[in-house]
Amino acid sequence: MDRLPDEALLSGLATGDPDLAVTFVRRFQHRVFGVAMAVTGDPQLAEDIAQQTFERAWRHAQIYDSRRGSVATWLTTIAHNLAIDAVRARRTEPVAPEDLDALLGVVTETPERWALADEASSRLRAALARLPREQARALVMAGIYGMTAQQIADAEGIPLGTAKTRIRAAMAKLRKTLASVRRGDHAE
Amino acid sequence: MPSDMSCEQLREASAELALGVLPGRERAEAIAHLDRCADCRQFIEPLCRVGERLIGLLPDQEPPLGFETRVVRRLTPDTTAHEGHGSARARGLGGRPVLARIGLAPAAVTLAALCGFAGWAVGTAIEDVTASAPAAPRGEPMLVGDMTSAADAGRSVGEVYAHPGRPGWIFMSVALDGAGRPYSGKVTCLLERSDGGTVRLGEFALREGQGDWGSTARVDSRGVSGARLVSPDGTVLATAHLQTGQVLTGTGQT
Ligand SMILES: [Zn+2]
Repeated sequence: MDRLPDEALLSGLATGDPDLAVTFVRRFQHRVFGVAMAVTGDPQLAEDIAQQTFERAWRHAQIYDSRRGSVATWLTTIAHNLAIDAVRARRTEPVAPEDLDALLGVVTETPERWALADEASSRLRAALARLPREQARALVMAGIYGMTAQQIADAEGIPLGTAKTRIRAAMAKLRKTLASVRRGDHAE
Repeated sequence: MPSDMSCEQLREASAELALGVLPGRERAEAIAHLDRCADCRQFIEPLCRVGERLIGLLPDQEPPLGFETRVVRRLTPDTTAHEGHGSARARGLGGRPVLARIGLAPAAVTLAALCGFAGWAVGTAIEDVTASAPAAPRGEPMLVGDMTSAADAGRSVGEVYAHPGRPGWIFMSVALDGAGRPYSGKVTCLLERSDGGTVRLGEFALREGQGDWGSTARVDSRGVSGARLVSPDGTVLATAHLQTGQVLTGTGQT
């Protein structure tokens, strides 16, 4: 069972087989919990979100489409979305600066720890690290914490237009990075 | 339907859209634009990938002790309710509840098609709104039906779920991709009333015969008998007979 492909495991969940469920949860719980923790910073809330993520995946399994990405990516997206919703519902004040800095550190980290990561991810980390700090902050606030441009503007004390420009500039650079990975060239 | 956004405006908003943080009205306008602009769809696709990859950089983390057991218990409550179902309905309403599919609004579906999982994220966000509103709690009766092809002698081509209540809603998933060339283009969804009348609910697009659509709708469980999909020239593409069923989360059975 441990060798079942992710997709097969997901389909098998529908049968209600507890062994399949255990294998599925065991395989993805670190991913799902990690995402929920990164966004919420609250272990209790993160556990709740992680549980909901598995339930959601189980209920949606028949809609999962492998052409769009891996099961892990799918779960990551669900967990991320649920986490953002939970945070939006609870938190009105912006992300604590030290949390943001810590997260920026984590996502731009490129050492051996990530040696097993695929090339696109490594390149993305490197590209993030090269972004002007304020662009990287705006990108993380929007893309990871789910903050709108207006919320970012308020948090950073900058005009709305500036927040939008920062998000856009950061996305444009990362897009270029991923495009070059896909083409297989190694130009910066 | 807002649809005045220009390509230039769309592109300015596309980074926020791809990251799922474009506020509601702007997002609706952007999606309306994407719906009719292939160039912009192509433009936003790689941005969606970036958003997806970005979340992928978040580190794994060890969940609390006992997490696995707690989740598994929630996923496998009772599996005996499957028995006696052999059709597509059983897939839909058997062990796996369909409730979760219902909240998908048309906009989310469009973006899902474009943005893959980034679209999914939008979809689940909308689902939460719909599902946490007065929408069906566990086991509430709703109308369900298999959609059958009008051209292809009753072949099952989808599912319809309609939920009475305030607000009521309807969701359908269609795959008209059987014989011949699959239909692409606008379709109109009509509710058939038991008294013979019909109520037009809205339009959505099928691509290669495929589409999902949902909307809020007034659904009166006794007054509604079926649903119908009609092409712009009036051809009936598919029909569904709706019956009261029970959608249960986890151990569902009609
Ligand atoms: Zn356009």
